[in-house]
Amino acid sequence: MIDLTGLASVLGSTMGAWYDFRDLNNLQRLITEWIADWGPDWLASIIAGVLGTLGILGVIGPTLLILIWVERKVIARFQQRYGPNRVGPKGLLQPVADAVKLILKEQLAPRAADKLIFFLPPVLIFVPGVLIWGVLPFGPRMSVADLNVGVLFLLAVSGTTVLVIFMAGWSSNNKYALFGAMRAVAMSISYEVPMVLALLTLVVFSGTMSINGIVQWQQQEDVIFILLFPLSAIAFFFAASAELNRTPADISEAESEIVAGYHTEYSGMRFGLFYAVELGNTLVVSAFIATFFLGGWWLWGLDQWVPSWIILLVKTGAVYFLLIWTRGTLPRLRVDQLMGFCWKALVPATLLFVVVAFVERTLLVSEGWDTTVALPVMAVINIALTLGAILLFARVSRPAPLRRPARIRMAGAQIGGLRAARQVASRTEEPQLQVGGD
Amino acid sequence: MTIGIEHYLTLGALLFCIGFFIALSKKNAIGVLIGVELMLNAVNLTLVAFSRFGSAEVALSTQVFVVFIIAVAAAEVAVGLALALVVYRNRQTISVDRTTLLRG
Amino acid sequence: MSDFGFHLAFWSLGAMTIGGASMILISRNLIHAVIWLVMSMLGVAGLYLTLSADFIAVVQVLIYVGAISVLMLFAIMLTPRAERDNSQNIKTAGPAGLVVLMVMIATMWVAIDTDWGAVREAALTEQARLIGESLIKHYILPFEIGAVLLTAALVGAIALARQDDEDAAVHAASLQAELEGEGAVDPVDVVDPPIAADASDSEATS
Repeated sequence: MIDLTGLASVLGSTMGAWYDFRDLNNLQRLITEWIADWGPDWLASIIAGVLGTLGILGVIGPTLLILIWVERKVIARFQQRYGPNRVGPKGLLQPVADAVKLILKEQLAPRAADKLIFFLPPVLIFVPGVLIWGVLPFGPRMSVADLNVGVLFLLAVSGTTVLVIFMAGWSSNNKYALFGAMRAVAMSISYEVPMVLALLTLVVFSGTMSINGIVQWQQQEDVIFILLFPLSAIAFFFAASAELNRTPADISEAESEIVAGYHTEYSGMRFGLFYAVELGNTLVVSAFIATFFLGGWWLWGLDQWVPSWIILLVKTGAVYFLLIWTRGTLPRLRVDQLMGFCWKALVPATLLFVVVAFVERTLLVSEGWDTTVALPVMAVINIALTLGAILLFARVSRPAPLRRPARIRMAGAQIGGLRAARQVASRTEEPQLQVGGD
Repeated sequence: MTIGIEHYLTLGALLFCIGFFIALSKKNAIGVLIGVELMLNAVNLTLVAFSRFGSAEVALSTQVFVVFIIAVAAAEVAVGLALALVVYRNRQTISVDRTTLLRG
Repeated sequence: MSDFGFHLAFWSLGAMTIGGASMILISRNLIHAVIWLVMSMLGVAGLYLTLSADFIAVVQVLIYVGAISVLMLFAIMLTPRAERDNSQNIKTAGPAGLVVLMVMIATMWVAIDTDWGAVREAALTEQARLIGESLIKHYILPFEIGAVLLTAALVGAIALARQDDEDAAVHAASLQAELEGEGAVDPVDVVDPPIAADASDSEATS
């Protein structure tokens, strides 16, 4: 065993110094205090905000460029391809080449487009995309704004993206863009419900709405939330990946159905901005999953030795890999399947776990149960409940045997829309099925 | 000059009046709903201003009131828009001037 | 917070709120009106922040921007053949303007002239917790009534907006007929004839 107490005291003495890279907040605090010495205090608060924003953009900008390459490479591996390998070593410069190409491309706008609303969305979509990062705690004191309504802020800000998407789709004056926008809006409204309910379990159980408070609760009780509420974690994961329009749920930009969804008419760098924000949102969602369910910057005391933000980034990377995995593996679902899964499976399941969280919280706080004994027991019970719920879902929703031959079903499905409606109106019993070859 | 409660109340009054005018004069049913929403927002703004500048007893109760108003506003919009849909389905218009079947 | 920053925040947010509301009045397109409404709501949320009511501000963004405006846009998209135009009714605009002007003068006079007194320096802290606790303790009955109201509104909205299969078929058929140019008549006239027929009947009998 190596004696680490000496090292710990050395590290402890650097705590709070500006060069202590474990907590970058110190540096920022030093700068703002220095400004506050000679300048007005509104300048200090503005500088603090600008520094935070620059820090965020400085982290996510380059990360995104790398992530484009990583995602394409990993998906290529899943699909037994090589992926980008021409520009630069191992194709590493491919994102740069793509960006240059997008910037040089002509910016087209449809003549019938609603001009003002058409130009706004690529800019506006950046606002929630950057604002969300503000409440992400990179360390015990390392978040741009540690709001005590952080969870609500996260939901409110992510909810505004829907409006921007709708603006983009509607103003393009293109039916595919409008289809994509309506699908995106309907889907994100639906999936917001299980998302809120999944976060509600955490808020109820930890008794705080501050995101840093949730991480600190996990640190204090020595448990990560994915063990206590696995179903909430799964539901949040699915709901978030649906909100992100990623492949199992990317019906709003399904290229085989509706050209490119709401950004069909956006060319050049305008499309590039949508793409970048989408990728950035994927990153921030994996960071929030890591924060809420995997303990965030905390890892059983390792955060004393390794900078907390590195721990968070590693966890984020793990969740991000999981997101790429689902994207590379699962086929796209239909609209009704996605909606049905949300309302019939996720919402009841997460509601059940809200009730469970209420009961367990009451047992812990009002009845005063010992957390060291009660928490493992609750974890086991909740994991069992989760497995039961998943098995029940699998049993109920397994594919039913076809009662009719597949050909007739397809022929029946072809008579859709107005013809079917007319037939119902004229009270015919069944749509006339064409049996046999034509 | 510091910004006090008068500023917020004046702003709320102005917002309320704009909303009131919209609700009274728009032809479209959804336009009328927008006006009503603006009026409710103006009231909320006034209440929150009282919560900030008023005495300690009202500070919390006004905010609770605002929460209730927001909840009721959400319910009102849902039902109002459903009504607009039904009117549209039956009359192919949601103009409040042309839905005069009851000769009101 | 120093005075300058506070002034800047108040006046810019106030301009955003009032400007957005005025643009609703002016704009001819209903979808533009909803987007201006969103701007106005965001301004109000910012004003809540200047009043240090952070819980209410976040709820405002969550409900109004994330839900109500989207609901309105949905309703506009679902009423495709109704007028998109957001114009004023010329006949009622005059009297309405007069009434509103009187209300404005009265409310503003009260707002400016009254001595409101009781200016507190400190704002509430931990508002979310306080509001939650008072909802459960002091306001439990209104809270429950609110829950019932929301449930009733939910069920009512679904019941109203739900389309029976027959209705849907009739609607689709009429749409189809109109698309084919057979029934290209003023939709109001389609519904009105019974009354007109009654009137002509009574004329004939008299």
